[in-house]
Amino acid sequence: MSVTIQQEKCIGCGTCTTACPFGAIEANEGKAAINAVNCTACGACVRSCPEEAIVQKDANNVQREKVDAGMYKGVWVYLEQFEGNLRRVGLELLAPGRNLADELGEELAAVIIGHNVESLASKAIASGADRVYLVDDKEYATYNNDNYTLALTQMINEHKPNVLLLGATNDGRELGPRIASKMGTGLCADCTNLGIDPETKLVAWTRPAFGGNIMATIFCPDQRPQMGTVRGKVFKPAEPDETRTGEIVRACPEVSRTAIRTKLIEILKIGDNACNIEEAEIIVGCGRGIGKRENLKLAEELAQALGGVVGASRPIVDSEWISSLQQVGQTGKTVSPKIYIACGISGAIQHLAGMSSADIIIAINKDPDAPIFKIADYGIVGDVLEFLPILTDEVRKLKAN
Amino acid sequence: MNIVVCVKQVPDTTEVKVDPQNHTLVRQGIPAIVSPFDKNALEEALKLREKHGGKVTVISMGPNQADAALKECLSIGADDAVLISDAAFSGADTLATARTLAAAIRKLGKVDMILCGKQAIDGDTAQVGPELAEQLGIAVVTYVAKIEVDGNVVTIQREHEEGYMVLETKLPVLATVVKSINVPRLATIKGRMKANKTQIAVWTANDIDIDSSLIGLNGSPTRVHRVFAPPQRSQGEMIEGTTTRDTVNKLLGKLTDAKLI
Amino acid sequence: MSKYNAVTPELISELENILGSRYVSTDPDKLEVYKTDEEANPKYHHLPEVVIFPGNAEEVAAVIRLANKYIVPVTPRGAGTGLAGGAIPVFGGIVLVLDRLDKIIEINEDSLYVTAQAGVRTSVIQEEAKKRGLLYAGDPCSSESCQIGGNVATNAGGNRAIKYGTTRDQVYIVEVVTPQGDIVSLGSRLAKKSTGYALEQLLVGAEGTLGIVTQVTLKLKPLATHSMDLLAIFTDIDKALSLPNKIVKAGITPTSMEFMDNKAIQSCARYLKIDLPYTDKKGVYVIVTLEGFNEDDVDQQTAIVDELCTEVGAAEVLVADEERVWKARRNFAEAARADSLVYYAEDIVVPVDKISDLMKKLPELENKYGIATTTAAHIGDGNIHVNALKMNIPDEVWNDTLGEFHKELYGFIYSLGGRLSGEHGIGSKKIKEMELFTNPLELKIMKAVKSALDPQNILNPGKIFN
Repeated sequence: MSVTIQQEKCIGCGTCTTACPFGAIEANEGKAAINAVNCTACGACVRSCPEEAIVQKDANNVQREKVDAGMYKGVWVYLEQFEGNLRRVGLELLAPGRNLADELGEELAAVIIGHNVESLASKAIASGADRVYLVDDKEYATYNNDNYTLALTQMINEHKPNVLLLGATNDGRELGPRIASKMGTGLCADCTNLGIDPETKLVAWTRPAFGGNIMATIFCPDQRPQMGTVRGKVFKPAEPDETRTGEIVRACPEVSRTAIRTKLIEILKIGDNACNIEEAEIIVGCGRGIGKRENLKLAEELAQALGGVVGASRPIVDSEWISSLQQVGQTGKTVSPKIYIACGISGAIQHLAGMSSADIIIAINKDPDAPIFKIADYGIVGDVLEFLPILTDEVRKLKAN
Repeated sequence: MNIVVCVKQVPDTTEVKVDPQNHTLVRQGIPAIVSPFDKNALEEALKLREKHGGKVTVISMGPNQADAALKECLSIGADDAVLISDAAFSGADTLATARTLAAAIRKLGKVDMILCGKQAIDGDTAQVGPELAEQLGIAVVTYVAKIEVDGNVVTIQREHEEGYMVLETKLPVLATVVKSINVPRLATIKGRMKANKTQIAVWTANDIDIDSSLIGLNGSPTRVHRVFAPPQRSQGEMIEGTTTRDTVNKLLGKLTDAKLI
Repeated sequence: MSKYNAVTPELISELENILGSRYVSTDPDKLEVYKTDEEANPKYHHLPEVVIFPGNAEEVAAVIRLANKYIVPVTPRGAGTGLAGGAIPVFGGIVLVLDRLDKIIEINEDSLYVTAQAGVRTSVIQEEAKKRGLLYAGDPCSSESCQIGGNVATNAGGNRAIKYGTTRDQVYIVEVVTPQGDIVSLGSRLAKKSTGYALEQLLVGAEGTLGIVTQVTLKLKPLATHSMDLLAIFTDIDKALSLPNKIVKAGITPTSMEFMDNKAIQSCARYLKIDLPYTDKKGVYVIVTLEGFNEDDVDQQTAIVDELCTEVGAAEVLVADEERVWKARRNFAEAARADSLVYYAEDIVVPVDKISDLMKKLPELENKYGIATTTAAHIGDGNIHVNALKMNIPDEVWNDTLGEFHKELYGFIYSLGGRLSGEHGIGSKKIKEMELFTNPLELKIMKAVKSALDPQNILNPGKIFN
């Protein structure tokens, strides 16, 4: 382990116990003790200790195989397609991808895998890619995690990108770890911020941890490519610029049929009328303050009057008052509507993680000290059950005029 | 059929609170639970055992206290449990964790199926499952909502943005399951009492065949560089009226002025 | 032809002088909120004329003196989670909301007591105690939302009464504002007392008719360190009901012992959209919580209870989890409301040994009057909750049928030595039955107490009796 407590210096003051963001330090017979499994060697305790009793050993002294980072150049964004259409998250990722590439002075490339998908390449270029690696073959018509993993890994080994970004879709969250595991590299899930560390030129991946209670910035110093997934709606796509030009490189990775162990039988689609809160411009979010399931109809009425949809915080979904498809927050959807009306939502950090990028946040809550008011643009202290019907009523009047 | 279920003991994040002053987690009194999706994985394993026979072994990498999670799995009906615990595993990221679990599973011998929850509720990365399959060189399917086994052919429904993919594969396979796959059964009282008295087997780094450079912090390609409190938006405006209706109209006035509605 | 005066602008301005205009509201939208509590049937609803939010006992007292001067009724209100219409302003007038009295004054970890203002949520007291390794034993099912003042006013019971008693048994001291507008502290922190009337006990369960509770001092207990929740599933209700007595006779005092009939289980499974074991196999549940201060103690109790369950014929004995089994039990009332918006929540109580007589009678009454019910019971203490569901029965027929059903049900209950309400109170909903079934002499004494303390009948009129 790389963080140790020098028992003879420890006075058992407990400062490090509270300083540790991972709860990895406990008191043991009047001295601090590190719970090895929870410890991430982040060093927060080292700085907190008034007695300088905690030492951090340099992990780099330990021999481990490093790749030659200098060989790896370029920022790649994997653009997922489904039935010949690009998923939005891929285009969104070209925006931060562009920034990373510019800061590194490297190229931004998009990777598209599918069949009859050539037309998608120009969209990637318009959205910022300098180059598109295109795999266009009937063998790749539909997603298969064996096929796609092997194809991507071959391309990575051949072209050696420095960075690889994927959308945190169901497929992206299957592909990403398989590739990372194959390459022996690090993968940072659900990043909310990407940057380049000026000193090391490493990608600084920032993601929420512990349900968004704290943020962690993570590096992948010795392995390549540096990989991360990002959820939809975290970044805004750049305005497409049709005048941009770029190179389209056709790639033909060869995957042995015997390496493909899963076979797609069919795709069962479920109606897309299930409300898509990620696309909604106005969301009426409901929290515990709504009291009971029946009161949700007050929120539905307001959403209807505004032409929006209803979202919910985790307790409401856990009580199964509303479908989990409507859950906003860390374990639910990330949304960024024009207006988010938080009704009886206290503003647990897990919830804020999913909606704080809304343009305007309106909060109605009984408790004037509720954390939601700290991020709201407009706050009203009061009972949502009292406000909702009147708000709906006035909105209807407004719309009627 | 030999089934291995990987579980993680996590703090119940629905109960996690943050100290508003120093932004650290208030962990006191927060119960440790078996990550909920892992319970769905266990239930699926028990159902498959009922149908096809065999053995269900539960493994977990974690501190010594994680034996409570394994005891819970035993009381629900697992046949065997192994805790993988050693200071040498500390600071492991998802890849180092996957390597460690892979080594432990190899030691268990012939395994037909490995089941995991789709993600643990503390890290939410959903990475260990697919990384583990890759380490073992077996097929993987994530977000699984239905599993049927016929001989060595496995038919799986996988959740997807558009609905479900129906996939066919062969044993051995690793599946990460979603909540809707089943309803976890309750433990029996007799099972709980028996599990409480069971000594859980603990495997250390020496017990599994793995190079020390591949585990723990040293074997982790990622490094936590910095942790900090989430940024906050600037303070907005509180709206107050003489009556509820007055407050509502003041709010709507602001919104229409800003051409928001 | 009310004997009360209407609320006048003059009274409003005097109220504003006492409380500040922020805390006095005649906003019609606001008044609408305070016309009822949990009661959904509009026939019980009444609009107040003004709603006020005092911030301390002195303000409450000043308001009460004013109400006496103007002869205007005052209805005190906690969180409004009551099921008997106790917070409904039957004669209009002032609704006095105690939300702002929301501070915990003191928690004494050494002397084991907590002093809190009336508007503190019960769950807050429970949590604060728990943080210190202590237990506040009162635990009504609505503890997440209800307030401690309301608990005292109704003598709230809940799941732990079998071991710890009801709210009454937790109370050391109550600070009340009398119906005449004086502030008085009743009771003491004494284990023994033979010094005059136990007036604090008179206030507990008086439903705000004898005084407004503004602050309470409550007992705390050490928090058990180990516990086990058993779910015994039976397919035969008689066998299920024979279990509690066996447990008690074996010398074990569970912290709680709850019963749910199959219709209640179905209703909760439907409402919460969860699977509950034996829902479709006519199962009924007995949930038993055992607690202790070491593992061996709890294990020993568990082994004995497990054996007793098997002995009396339980189909299965499982670990009752929080996410499903307890959640179902806690959502029993909400589930009934989802089945039928209008329903009547019975809160009858019978001697523990008479529960099975009642359970046999219920299906008979159900068939006779064509009323669907769901039942859950604190079987450790004989308190039975029967939800009579209106479903599709037309309004006019419903009220009559329910009246007939009640007459026969309550007659039977009193013949068993039972009473109308175990923990919800009489409120405004059960007055008729109260007058009909209570011993006339007992009722006369109650009325005498009321008129001695509140001669102008200012405080919460139209409750318990007329």
